[in-house]
Amino acid sequence: MKKIVCSSLILLLSLAASVNAGAADQKIAVPLTFDAYYSYEDVVNAVKALNKAFPKLTKLDLVGKSEENRAIYCLTVNNPATGNELDKPGVYVDGNIHGNEIQATEVCLYFLNYILTKYGENERVTELVDKNCFYVIPTVNVDGRYHFFNDANTSSSNRGLRRPKDDDRDGLVDEDFPDDLDGDGNICMMRKKDPLGAYKTDPEDPRLMVRIKPGEKGEWTLLGQEGIDNDGDGQINEDSEGYVDPNRNWGFDWMPEYVQSGAGDYPFSGEGIKAIASFVRKRPNICVAWAFHNSGGMYLRGPSVKKLTYPPQDIQTYDYLGEQAERITPGYHYLVSWKDLYTTYGDFIEWMVCCNGAYGFVGELFQSSTETFKTRKEEEKVKPETEAEENFFQESNEVERERLKFSDHLAQGELYKSWTAYNHPTYGDIEIGGWVKLSSRLPAPFMLKDLVHRNAMAVLFSAQNTPEVNMDIFEVKKLENDLYRLRVRLTNAKAIPTMSYYAQQHKLYPKDFLLISGNNIKVLAGGKLQNKYTDTASYKEHKPELQLLFVPGFGSVEYQFLVSGKGSVEIKYDSRHGGKVTKTLQLK
Amino acid sequence: MKQKIMQIFLGIVCLALFSFASTIDFTFDRYHSPDELNKILKDAAESFPKITKLHKIAVTRSQKEVSILEIGNETDTAKKELPAVFVAANMEGTTPIASEAALYLVKSLLEDDSLIKDKTWYVLACGNPEAAAHYFNKPLRQDPRNSNPYNDDMDDQVDEDGADDLDGNGIITMMRVKSPEGSWIPVPGEPRLMRRADPSKGEQGLYKLYSEGLDNDGDGEYNEDGQGGVNIGINFPHLFEHHTTTGGLWPGSEEESYYLIKFIMEHREIGLTFCFGQTNFCLNPPAGGRRGSVDLNNIKIPERYGKMMGLDTEKTYTMKEIIELLKPFVPEGMEITESMVAQFLGLGAVVNPLPEDLKYYKELSEQYKEFLKKTGLDTERLEPQKAKDGSFELWAYYHLGLPSFTMDFWTLPKVKEEKEEQEITPEKLEKMSDDEFIALGEEKINQFLKSAGAPENFKAKNVIDAVKSGAMSTKRMAEMLKKMPKPENSEQGGSEEEKALLAFSDKELEGKGFVNWETYDHPTLGKVEIGGEVPFVKNTPPADRVETLLKGQIPWVFEIADKMARIKIAKTDAEEIGNNIYRIKVWVENSGYLPYPTAMGERNTRILPVIVTVEGDIEILEGKKRSLIKSFGQQKSQEVSWLVYLKKPGEIKIQAVTNIAWKDSKVITLGGNR
Repeated sequence: MKKIVCSSLILLLSLAASVNAGAADQKIAVPLTFDAYYSYEDVVNAVKALNKAFPKLTKLDLVGKSEENRAIYCLTVNNPATGNELDKPGVYVDGNIHGNEIQATEVCLYFLNYILTKYGENERVTELVDKNCFYVIPTVNVDGRYHFFNDANTSSSNRGLRRPKDDDRDGLVDEDFPDDLDGDGNICMMRKKDPLGAYKTDPEDPRLMVRIKPGEKGEWTLLGQEGIDNDGDGQINEDSEGYVDPNRNWGFDWMPEYVQSGAGDYPFSGEGIKAIASFVRKRPNICVAWAFHNSGGMYLRGPSVKKLTYPPQDIQTYDYLGEQAERITPGYHYLVSWKDLYTTYGDFIEWMVCCNGAYGFVGELFQSSTETFKTRKEEEKVKPETEAEENFFQESNEVERERLKFSDHLAQGELYKSWTAYNHPTYGDIEIGGWVKLSSRLPAPFMLKDLVHRNAMAVLFSAQNTPEVNMDIFEVKKLENDLYRLRVRLTNAKAIPTMSYYAQQHKLYPKDFLLISGNNIKVLAGGKLQNKYTDTASYKEHKPELQLLFVPGFGSVEYQFLVSGKGSVEIKYDSRHGGKVTKTLQLK
Repeated sequence: MKQKIMQIFLGIVCLALFSFASTIDFTFDRYHSPDELNKILKDAAESFPKITKLHKIAVTRSQKEVSILEIGNETDTAKKELPAVFVAANMEGTTPIASEAALYLVKSLLEDDSLIKDKTWYVLACGNPEAAAHYFNKPLRQDPRNSNPYNDDMDDQVDEDGADDLDGNGIITMMRVKSPEGSWIPVPGEPRLMRRADPSKGEQGLYKLYSEGLDNDGDGEYNEDGQGGVNIGINFPHLFEHHTTTGGLWPGSEEESYYLIKFIMEHREIGLTFCFGQTNFCLNPPAGGRRGSVDLNNIKIPERYGKMMGLDTEKTYTMKEIIELLKPFVPEGMEITESMVAQFLGLGAVVNPLPEDLKYYKELSEQYKEFLKKTGLDTERLEPQKAKDGSFELWAYYHLGLPSFTMDFWTLPKVKEEKEEQEITPEKLEKMSDDEFIALGEEKINQFLKSAGAPENFKAKNVIDAVKSGAMSTKRMAEMLKKMPKPENSEQGGSEEEKALLAFSDKELEGKGFVNWETYDHPTLGKVEIGGEVPFVKNTPPADRVETLLKGQIPWVFEIADKMARIKIAKTDAEEIGNNIYRIKVWVENSGYLPYPTAMGERNTRILPVIVTVEGDIEILEGKKRSLIKSFGQQKSQEVSWLVYLKKPGEIKIQAVTNIAWKDSKVITLGGNR
């Protein structure tokens, strides 16, 4: 747990931190491959290729444009032969809302590729696709992904939206970015030989440094990220791109910048964010939503603030789906956002849950702790956490040493740039080195396939658990001439209720309808059947032909109607998340 | 002959000019509908093209334009040098006079160049045009929601059961129907009014009350799902309340509010806001006393962080202390900001006006009362409303960090209570000694207890005994009474507001402010009576009074605008300390009355510091190229200094720049004499 709090702090404050594995020039063809990362252009080509390969099952929508006018695409997967999009439970998946968190996009693409290529081959996948409608936006922060690939970065930079912001409040905007001084495409760290410095070379790995103990002689001073004082204000790299955090810019529980850093000026100030919001609002069938991020290895659910509570029945559903996700992806933790990570205001998933009535998960992809390099014996040794405790904002050197060995032997050194001399305009002779852009928060490409597959399976499990409602007219009893008693049972075979308890509690939208109609009938009474043995029903006083209800996960509800008349009767169930079922019968 | 032609020519020119201006409908003898308002703004923009610009920011569902008229001398540039005042009106759409006030303001600005000499004005005459249109349509109803569909009763139909004008008088009022389940009774002494029966006093309800209408959808409810929608007036991000029936799904969920927020955020030159509606921050400073505001000098550390950082979670820390304590934990060179800590610890938002800001609100309120005395508009009237959560005016103060003022222009005159002189009020009680109180005698004391709404068992005799024994004193009693909620309906004649309404209707409106109860045969409720107060009477003065009210009050807007913070370079000083090295000192002051920035603007970090620069053929040895003055605090001026090396004798330009409080520059000559 300490580890998690620790990584939460690092995530929150991850402002400091670095293989080129871009899939440039690769020809995008279906089936997609996952042994390299897709650039923004590749992602666009990939969704287009999927759309072209599966024209009947998919629809490509231009959701909107970003600040820098890049297209944000959604690929919708729906089998029209089994019904209209909006008549089926909707499953929404997105990724890469933070520009640097690129493997999230690969999870989305993998998921699409998987369900589409397996459709018609694998029975379960076919059933899944026939039953649901999928909305997948592989890259939310399209500008962020573009700049992450094309500019020099750390593994944590280029997270936000391309909305200029005066970070240092000097009246100039985005005027002092970090600079790729050595031109290697990475923003690494700078250090300078300094006998008065607070660090010395790590005796076990000369690439690393350790803090000196009192009385020891120093060797290095750390100078922060690679860069110069572009605006001559005495500070280096203090006003880079943005920062508006696209995952703090949504309309639920939005708080201004001084409460929630990265909030933006107002909810939905981000152009792409606003476009996605209106896209989602037009799809009220969405009942489960996934948003992928990196890193830490977590499946997070809300609430994202302490003061908000979810109804306990909803938590049962979350637990069912979240615990299964933990099983699917070993090492990942299913956690509560505010409690186990930190408080956030205005994030996407909370908006999906609290304004749209979906069940929502955030997947924090990848754990750098999987970059292991140990013998069986070393592995068995229980690792003391003392070092980590001392300095919880930074990884312990022990962990970093091992990750370096991992880089040396599994990535042939590509994850870490060795320290190289550089002549800095302000600091003079310095060295530049450290973790490169495509490291630390991203799996090395050879590990990518495992990551995308497992996470896609976690999504798939939740999609298998969208409501599946069956209607059973389990009694038609003639009480006397032209008077009948009908009993109807609605059963949900899956874990997700047809309406979240949160949505019911806060009246986000009307409940499901159960409507009885017929040309020659009149519904005299109708209501919930409390006990079919004692014949106890609670009838609705007005408009008994229309019942408002929901069907719980793995549960059922029963309704009873007294109907006078003869002939054809139609019983219609109509739900936003539970689909539509209609049955007819003859009274005679 | 020539002269005559000249005269005719001049006449034609004059006529043209005159008629040009007179095409704008600046009349204040009637109220203007949203469409008329837009027409006037458009005409104004066409008639004064040099100093105006019309910004159409949004179009509502029913195709009504939301427009902002810009008036000033920088209308042709996007990057403004001058600060601006933003005036929003009628955000709830239920206050017609607010839009008239905006119109009056526009007229004043167009007539008097001096008002736009050094600032820009943005006027939104009607922030909620769809709701505002109700006043001009039949049947008359007051409803702040726009026309976006909303399923109030969460059934299978949307907006299917609104009010109906059953009696055909063009006004939506109330229906009362006798019912054994009723909980309402006519107010004793004023049977036109209704109030809830009080079973503890042995009263029994006689009537059920409904708004006027049918059960259009046959669900047993009356008028439970009328047209609309969202109240734009509560759709702003500060203290926005989710999951209400009229507030919208999120702040800025509507076109009207979203594009207004966007417009204001994109105009960083706006340094002062006004909102014309039903609240009055000129008279009553924004209310405090809300729970949940974090005191930055007393912050508790949550246990899980406290443990890790080795801090005492029982103790409280100041923000500055926490920033210092966190430093060893973050990578070297990383700056820890207040907002980072606030987020990390989950401190939340400011919800009460900051004391430094209340100071000027209070001072200005005193001045405003004096001002009203002079204009003769100081007659006693009902209190303006309190600002609502999610309102424009609260957002402007808390999120924009600007001085945010509001005006309501008119409420019903207070009814003078004839007995008031003899009555004992908590204030009088406070000043009374215990003996004086006892000397009043049982009868008077009983009367007082009753009128103060004291519990039944509070009889004069017991009270006198308690005072005598020392268990109770006049001071304590006064305190208790002050804390007690005022009885909503006093025994006789209804609430203060209802009494004011009836009195106004009877005396000033020939009774047209109240529809007397008339029987009506209702299709589902049977015999009912329809009647009650006429919508808008409470906040909308008869049109013939509007001009006087606005003429008297709008000038206060200009008074406050004159008090905006204004940055000046008060003094410069340069001293050579040898070898062409100079110490330059500059004193920058806020010469305006209002602060730079407001305490809230400093706290929320939205208002940029004053940026002070020095330019010339120099090298700065000490000091910043761009020096930042974050705030003036309680000081009038702040000093900025540089140590510079003068490369060549010549002029040095010093500038102090802001977006919202003007800018200033001074040139000094160094080394010129040698």
